[in-house]
Amino acid sequence: MRARLEGAAVVTGAAGGIGLAICRRLAASGATVVAVDVADRLGATVADLESSGAAVIGVQADLTTAGGLDAVLGSLDRTGVALRTIVNNAGITRDARLVNMTAEDFRVVLEVNLGVAQRLIELLLPRLEHGTIVNISSRAYLGNFGQFNYSMSKGALLGLTRALALALAPAVRVNAVAPGLIGTEMSMAIPEDVRAKMVAAIPLGRMGQPEEVAETVAFLASEDSAYITGEVITVGGGRSLSR
Amino acid sequence: MIRSEDRDLADVLNSLPLPDEALIFVANSAVSDGWTAVLDELTAAYQLSQAAVRSGGPIVYLVESDDLLGRRGIGSAMVACGLLSAARTLALETARAGSPVNVIALGTATTQDSLRVWVELLCRPDGPSGELIRLGADHLGKALP
Repeated sequence: MRARLEGAAVVTGAAGGIGLAICRRLAASGATVVAVDVADRLGATVADLESSGAAVIGVQADLTTAGGLDAVLGSLDRTGVALRTIVNNAGITRDARLVNMTAEDFRVVLEVNLGVAQRLIELLLPRLEHGTIVNISSRAYLGNFGQFNYSMSKGALLGLTRALALALAPAVRVNAVAPGLIGTEMSMAIPEDVRAKMVAAIPLGRMGQPEEVAETVAFLASEDSAYITGEVITVGGGRSLSR
Repeated sequence: MIRSEDRDLADVLNSLPLPDEALIFVANSAVSDGWTAVLDELTAAYQLSQAAVRSGGPIVYLVESDDLLGRRGIGSAMVACGLLSAARTLALETARAGSPVNVIALGTATTQDSLRVWVELLCRPDGPSGELIRLGADHLGKALP
């Protein structure tokens, strides 16, 4: 078990596979979790967390709107504890080769994956006297066919991570996690033969699990990583090295 | 197509014998930290890159080394690192067509001669693709994004 977490942790994209695992892991370490997602299934996520004894508040909100961001602030106030952790996990894909990519598919991916993170941090920073920010990037920041928009957004998220790490030190540490192929609903929707080829290219021979990403997030959010800031940790089974 | 807010840099780049369909995109290092400004800059890169790819032209993104390291604010850091990742993806997509896509990071001591040499080289169909060339010495000992 890692160092205990204090205060509140805001987690976006909380209803997805990785988001839920992060909420569960941070709650298990003692954080009061503000779980944010636009999806209706957030209710089930919150119920799942509560049933395991987690201190959690669910916020169903569209963070691309001012109202959605305000809803997060209101819920954070309801926790009655100080903000100590922000996890920017919300993300979507709209894949196409650049030659065929529509302006709307470009914009919406940048807006959700990057704009939401930037604006949420800006909104919450006055309440984060000290603590950590963990941005969930992707191994796609190293390049991924058909993902000009996604790759750009996840690379830019690393730029945000680096700049904030320098600007906010020493009070706030800022790091990123770059998951590779993880066994989420999104990955399982990939045709089986394609998925098998992707797994074959992973030296560790399998997809990662959401809990393995969550464990890395918990490490970066805790005092166990007290001397780490401005870094990105890839959770990808060695895929960044193989053919 | 030379896209540069910096007139001196634009003059240097315009003097090069580049293919007509080439795109040299100079990131606006004065971009503010506001989201709208960042999105506008990245959207400009998307639009111009798409046009270049459709015409089969090489692409070079020019950024500042300091911005890749996040030293000058979040807006310019997001743009620089976003362009680097976009170039890596685009290099995969254009590999078969033989159209290179690369990034040059300018250091404080980068000379115009050095810039000319590298931009010309990176626009050649037999040159590298998906690469980051960091000029100057600002990046030495520092981490790649």
